[in-house]
Amino acid sequence: MGVVTAETFVGLIPELVTLGFLVLVLLLGVFNPQSPNQTAALAALGTVAVFASTVVLLASGFSGSFFGDGFVVDNFALYFKLVVSASAFFAVLAAARWAAGTGDAPEYLALILAVVLGSLLLVSMRDLFGIFLALELATIPSYALVAFDRSRRESSEGAMKYLVTGVIASAILLYGMVLIYGVAGSAALADVAEVFTGQLSPVAVLGLVLLVSGFAFKLSAVPFHFWTPDAYQGAPTSAAAFLSVAPKAATFAVLLRILLEGMPEAAATWTSVMVFLAIATMFVGNLFALRQRNVRRMLAYSSVAHSGYILAAFAALQGSAVPTAVEAVLIYSAAYAVMNLGAFLVIDLVGEDSTSYNGLIRNRPGIAVCMGIFMAALVGLPPLSGFWGKAWVIFAGAEAGTVALYVVIGAVVVNSVLSVPYYFGIVRNMFFEEPKEMTEEPKGTGAVTASVYVLAAATVLFGLFVGPLSALARASGLL
Amino acid sequence: MNQALPIEGYLVVGALMFAIGAWGALIRRNAVVVFMCIELMINGVVLTLVAFGDYLPQAGGVGASYAVLVIAIAAAEVAVGLAIVLAVFRSRRTVNVDEANLMKW
Repeated sequence: MGVVTAETFVGLIPELVTLGFLVLVLLLGVFNPQSPNQTAALAALGTVAVFASTVVLLASGFSGSFFGDGFVVDNFALYFKLVVSASAFFAVLAAARWAAGTGDAPEYLALILAVVLGSLLLVSMRDLFGIFLALELATIPSYALVAFDRSRRESSEGAMKYLVTGVIASAILLYGMVLIYGVAGSAALADVAEVFTGQLSPVAVLGLVLLVSGFAFKLSAVPFHFWTPDAYQGAPTSAAAFLSVAPKAATFAVLLRILLEGMPEAAATWTSVMVFLAIATMFVGNLFALRQRNVRRMLAYSSVAHSGYILAAFAALQGSAVPTAVEAVLIYSAAYAVMNLGAFLVIDLVGEDSTSYNGLIRNRPGIAVCMGIFMAALVGLPPLSGFWGKAWVIFAGAEAGTVALYVVIGAVVVNSVLSVPYYFGIVRNMFFEEPKEMTEEPKGTGAVTASVYVLAAATVLFGLFVGPLSALARASGLL
Repeated sequence: MNQALPIEGYLVVGALMFAIGAWGALIRRNAVVVFMCIELMINGVVLTLVAFGDYLPQAGGVGASYAVLVIAIAAAEVAVGLAIVLAVFRSRRTVNVDEANLMKW
């Protein structure tokens, strides 16, 4: 208990590696400012090193809890660390050229690595205030990432909206945590679980409601989603791609941990909240996405809708359905990371106006086919990655088998149909419209194009990974 | 002898500070004033935290160290926040959140 041993450092390797590379990237920027490409290569190497060290920890079956049970390394945490570091790798590749153009590449890349560090810590935390600290470590740099594009006024405006709502959300989340701490007398999730049994006291219910509201802000769940489209439209594309995937997956993971480890006996209370959140989030995200002309803004609303699909799995976290629901969250997070990163990288290559996709199949057939794959995956067509995510959500809901869950499943299906027009609007533009005049050189680097192909392949072949992923999820230690 | 205040007093004051701050953050239009209101919210939470940390028999005073942690995080948030407000002011000469309307719906 509380003693730092060599094993502690082994458990912290992914975080320590991230921290080391963060410092190195900043130092390289100071001492060698003329070489943004080297800086980007170093940052990409850092994310690869984090990924590799996490794979080693996972393969060696390492697990344990440190710092008085405040920090835990289990398969569940390691799984999300893989998702975070892999998406950070693609985000760094996408960011390299744009960041070099701003002249502040080291700062931009260091901010990305700071978000990675926060997300890695977040999925391992098992103490309310540790969770708050890691969540803020992931969130505060992301405000700066959104504001980074000083050539566009939308960037600072989106950042201000993100910041004001985000900080208010943090205060609400913190109040919820403090009330729970006051009721439980301890911030450790194991002690919280002892209080959340039987008849809940009013203060405990208030704390739970404030906590879930704060997380709903961070996950852009309705009615707390207003910052999402503005922040993602204003942010540099690589930042929007990264923020919509990695910190969000980590936040879902930690919410799952709080609910399952900290208040399993109160499941009836919070699953009913989740039913409402999931249905509202799916419908609002899809209905607002339908009317967007800006592809980036459309994908922002689509990310709201996909948060709703994942929240539908949270609503199924009851009774015998808990293992399937946990699997659904894990599989959906990975599936969404693959397809959404790919779609954002294509925006980086082609542009954010929907007319710039006109006739793309003739100008750049490879990219057009990849974008078609990502759009079909976001709709949830089999056998692409999004289909497996939704299939698991539906399995979990069916297994829970209450009336409310059947309504949620119905909403998932209806929303998948609702989302067809806006995703396939892009596909129609690419395949059936006349190409615009080619006025500019194709943007982007070989690295980004290659990443798009890799992500498209992963989206198509995701079905092959589903078996191992669900086995990993079953061994996650949370069930 | 001095009788210690009951914990309810601290909790009520903390909740009032939180509510006043939240109300101000919702109705005020100047971004800097909004930040002051958010600080008020966080300070209300910190007061609650310190009160719990002092009164709970099993907490052993750990609440105060959590409070220091929270204060540091709040300071970091405001530092980044004011930098962003400054960036907005440079680009449009106003910090009124109502006039930040390039993007809607």
